[in-house]
Amino acid sequence: MQHRQIVSKSALGWQVRLEHITMNIHSLFKHPAVRLLTLLLGVSVLSLLLSFLIVQTYGLSFQSAWSAFVDGAWGSPYVIGASINRALYFALIGLGFILADQAKLANIGAEGQIAVGGIAATALCLYGGAAHLPHGIAFAYPLLGAMLAGACWGGIAGFLKAKMGTNEVISTLLLSFIAVWLLYCCVQSESLLKQPMNTSASLPQSLPIPDSTSMPLLFASSGTNLNVGLVITVLLAFVIYTLMHYSRFGFHLKSVGHNANSAKRAGMPVFSTIFLALAISGAFAGLAGGLMLQGDQQVLKTGFSSGYGFDGLVVGLLARGSVLGVFAAALVFGFLRSGGINMEMVAQLPSAVVLVIQGIIVITIAGASRWLSKQEG
Amino acid sequence: MAIDTTVIDMLAVFAGSAIRLATPLLIAASGELVSQKTGVINTSLDGLMLSGAFLGIYGSYATGSPWLGFIIALFGILPLALLQAFLSVTLRANQLVTGIGINILALGATTLMYRKVFFESKAGAVSGSYGFSKLNLVDEQHFPALANVLNQSWIVYLGLLLLVCIALVLKKTALGISINAVGESPQTVDQSGLSVVALRYLGVMTSGVMASIAGCFISLGDIHTFTEGMTNGIGFLALAAIIFGNWSLSRTALACVLFGAVSALQYQLPAMNINVPPALLIMLPYVLALFAVAGFMGKQTAPKALTVPFFRH
Amino acid sequence: MMDVDYLTSQQGSASVLSLQGIKKSFGAFQALKQISLELHAGEIHCLLGENGAGKSTLCNIIFGSLKADEGQILLQGSLFQASSPKDALHHGIAMVHQHFSLIENTTVLDNLLLGRSSGVLNRQQQASDIKNLLKELNFDIDLNVQVKDLAVGEKQRVEIIKCLIRQPKLLILDEPTAVLLPHEINALLRICQRVAERGCGILLVTHKLAEIKQVASKVSVLRSGAIVDFSDQPIQDIDRLVRSMIHKESTDGEVQLLKREVSQTRLVSPNARPLHDEVLQVNGLSYTDPSGVKKLDNVTLLVNKAEIVAIAGVEGNGQSELASILSGMLDATAGQFFVEGQDLTHASPKQLTQFGVGVIAEDRHDTGCITPMSLAENLLLNHLDRYSKFGFLNRKKLKADAEQLMHRFDVRAASSAVPFGRLSGGNQQKAVFARELTLNPLKFLLASQPTRGLDVGAVATIYNHIRDARNKGLGVLLISSELDELLAVADRILVFYRGTIIGEVHAAQANREQIGAWMAGQA
Repeated sequence: MQHRQIVSKSALGWQVRLEHITMNIHSLFKHPAVRLLTLLLGVSVLSLLLSFLIVQTYGLSFQSAWSAFVDGAWGSPYVIGASINRALYFALIGLGFILADQAKLANIGAEGQIAVGGIAATALCLYGGAAHLPHGIAFAYPLLGAMLAGACWGGIAGFLKAKMGTNEVISTLLLSFIAVWLLYCCVQSESLLKQPMNTSASLPQSLPIPDSTSMPLLFASSGTNLNVGLVITVLLAFVIYTLMHYSRFGFHLKSVGHNANSAKRAGMPVFSTIFLALAISGAFAGLAGGLMLQGDQQVLKTGFSSGYGFDGLVVGLLARGSVLGVFAAALVFGFLRSGGINMEMVAQLPSAVVLVIQGIIVITIAGASRWLSKQEG
Repeated sequence: MAIDTTVIDMLAVFAGSAIRLATPLLIAASGELVSQKTGVINTSLDGLMLSGAFLGIYGSYATGSPWLGFIIALFGILPLALLQAFLSVTLRANQLVTGIGINILALGATTLMYRKVFFESKAGAVSGSYGFSKLNLVDEQHFPALANVLNQSWIVYLGLLLLVCIALVLKKTALGISINAVGESPQTVDQSGLSVVALRYLGVMTSGVMASIAGCFISLGDIHTFTEGMTNGIGFLALAAIIFGNWSLSRTALACVLFGAVSALQYQLPAMNINVPPALLIMLPYVLALFAVAGFMGKQTAPKALTVPFFRH
Repeated sequence: MMDVDYLTSQQGSASVLSLQGIKKSFGAFQALKQISLELHAGEIHCLLGENGAGKSTLCNIIFGSLKADEGQILLQGSLFQASSPKDALHHGIAMVHQHFSLIENTTVLDNLLLGRSSGVLNRQQQASDIKNLLKELNFDIDLNVQVKDLAVGEKQRVEIIKCLIRQPKLLILDEPTAVLLPHEINALLRICQRVAERGCGILLVTHKLAEIKQVASKVSVLRSGAIVDFSDQPIQDIDRLVRSMIHKESTDGEVQLLKREVSQTRLVSPNARPLHDEVLQVNGLSYTDPSGVKKLDNVTLLVNKAEIVAIAGVEGNGQSELASILSGMLDATAGQFFVEGQDLTHASPKQLTQFGVGVIAEDRHDTGCITPMSLAENLLLNHLDRYSKFGFLNRKKLKADAEQLMHRFDVRAASSAVPFGRLSGGNQQKAVFARELTLNPLKFLLASQPTRGLDVGAVATIYNHIRDARNKGLGVLLISSELDELLAVADRILVFYRGTIIGEVHAAQANREQIGAWMAGQA
């Protein structure tokens, strides 16, 4: 009897310890941050596996694909600069996205807002007298125009939501398509932004913008091609962070997002909060468009915003409301894109593999969103 | 006399193009409408159409028969549609975001597979023509105008048949009542003993299969080839048609025809020496849908539970 | 009036429902204590009780939305507990809810056919079948009309038909006449009688005496979770039944607490006041809701300084709409209201707050507070002007002031940063009071159902606050369905019934029976 008791006691002890461990892991997993990290880890592993598989089916060596990717992503100062520049565009769109997200508004029209920003910036650079302004301001004036254009475009959706309750996802999406075709219109017509036709220049695109309106370079000697846009973006990140967490407007955003009724009863201006949230979100995407024009591209052409809008949207979604998250995701996507482009050129692996990975990331994060945000109790 | 025939010829060509351009919209929109009536929106419509287009061409290339290619497209789309249904209905994820994710995935996957199959990773154009030739219903020699209008791919007529079938099911069967009810008040449907989940899965799968057929029309029926990202936003145009048609099947069909006609004008107007920037015409359907959604065309009556995941209390 | 022959002929009929010793608790709160009830085929058994008595809980248990903790349910003699509404429907129990579950954009016929037909429809055949059933019950409805075009009374009829085509053995109706006009009520009661005649057992939940007198064969009175009275001759016993509905046992600690306070505060004579010191003047206020039901009908009342005016009445008789209009969340269809002479009928909530109107909302989670946000944020939700400078929020000052308020009003929480939703109901409500009572200026306080769901201690604290406010000169409009609390605290009591004031009395002359009768619609 005693012997059996001793045995069962120690067996019980072992079981109890195992139970403790499983309970601790279980309660650890109740923490949203832990869940997010696990998911990101899982997605990264899945992406690597998938890319490996794809590379194999293409009969290429993983080695060559990987080295091409690395070269294209961070292989030289110039390439690093290009990656960071790309990341900046995504970051701006992401920042605008998370601001509107505070009020539970989803701005998915970034692609279109970039387009109108680009149109406005081009017009001001080429024909709006920006070239004649003193050197320091010549680039700022079109950028402001781009922001304003983006703000108007987002503001339309904001107005419709605040006034009629129109679902902002549908309205920003429709506006996005309209803007892209508006851009097409502008660069196809000489009376608008198309370059004057002659034998050497007949492509549907604008004239190149004057040098004085280009973004001034930072670290001009290092060959990184980084421009003032970096400073602007980082500054704006601080602005967004302050707005969201320290300003009254940020408080209004959160309140309206949680409970518009109570916000109204507490005297908060619900209409203007919704309108401004989407307008500011649009302004950021418009600014990205202006930066793209005055930084990398220098010329406005069709397909100007192609893909950047949706990539920025994905960055915003992944960030889950955090400014640091936006930058983290933006950098990842920026480098992914650069690496992908080089992989295609050098290692013959289509950059579409990046699209596949992006798609899987979006699907996984969206599918797991309820699991990620489940609070305990 | 000569002027008259030219006008008729032009109208015939215009009508023929309009039908050709409206068909993928019509097929995709009518399938998606079924899904939206059950309360699930598929922003992945474009990706599903693109996948169907690729599967059709691939199947045709691999088996040598466009008919088998078509069937492969019908079955091949099922896993993707199932994924969309699983995300939207079972996981109750944000339907708009998952749709965009699937769009990106489909674009990437079809591009990769296309290049692998046809070119071993280089971009290029498919050589050879895969697909269905147009039906020869009307003798082109004797009735050229009518031939332009009626000699379409058989898929056009399939689309019309499916449209009629969907209309009949929605209006005349018990299933139709259930489909209409689930998007308005899923709680009521649940209480009356029916399965909300099953109805919604049915809706999404219908949308997926119809989207695949629409994609096949573009690749197998119309262009006879595949190009990367060939749908180019046409799925969103179908969504716009549903919005503009205020979720009524007949109005959505008319909206598709309208949008098709507007698209056809792109080619028609230059031929008539009218210079309207084509981009304006392409933009017009989206503008119309925006007006509709902004409430300028009467009250919008979307299914009340559209995009809202169902939780049993 | 009930036909005596009809009554006697039902005496020997089969038992449809037998509840024995049903108990149900939600955490520490006992909603139902040992309920026993017998319902026979062919009879209309009324369940009489005020809000919070446990009527809805009981119905939900019978219908399968909730499960009883203890006790037995016998359906036609055999043990049965529905596991879900679907299950209940399957076994012949049907319920007509207060909130209809109909598909608005569809015809009546299609609503009735949902889940009850398969394959290709023969609408004409189905329609004529249903019409036959309706003929037997002697009422009619146009099957081809869209539900959204129906009046509320007609919509309810569709709900009832939905239940009846399943040939149920037991039909539960939960406060069905709340949304009906007088002639519609009569029609409904006649339908109930006819349904009962066909052998169905009906459980009619109501607080309205007129209905009971018209159709009830049996009445059970539910109060505080227990069946306290029963009668099988309702018309004779009606007065006794009403008393049972509103009377609380004298051992109830809450009443004692309040009674103690009452004797002290009654010292302030309500008649020693200067003229023209009205704080709130409501003038002919009316409200018709979007579906056409008149919720407020030409209401005129006033509240003076240093006065607590209570609005009594069972919930759903227009009090919520009045509160919403007075707090700026709803627009009246006619009439005005003035605070200290200022017309605030169309004022925004912000203007109302700035003018000095404090509001304790009926549902703090819906309109009063933002539950996911912190206690500090909720404590100062409508005072943000004090803490913002150049658009920035002074969070430090916010936190300090919040902590002061917590201390002053005894709001207990680990810290001011705790999410509001984590606090107990009592502390949440204390926080709301802290917020509204510290408005500056504060001229008038509107408190809607302020003690709903709170324990005895919290209730006492809340009423202390209300009394303090009154003693400082504030005018208070207190809306509550807790009659005992009102009697202990108010200076004047108005009773709402169907959107109008059916009776008014000074507290000194207030009489429980009279008020109870008013609450039940007896002028």
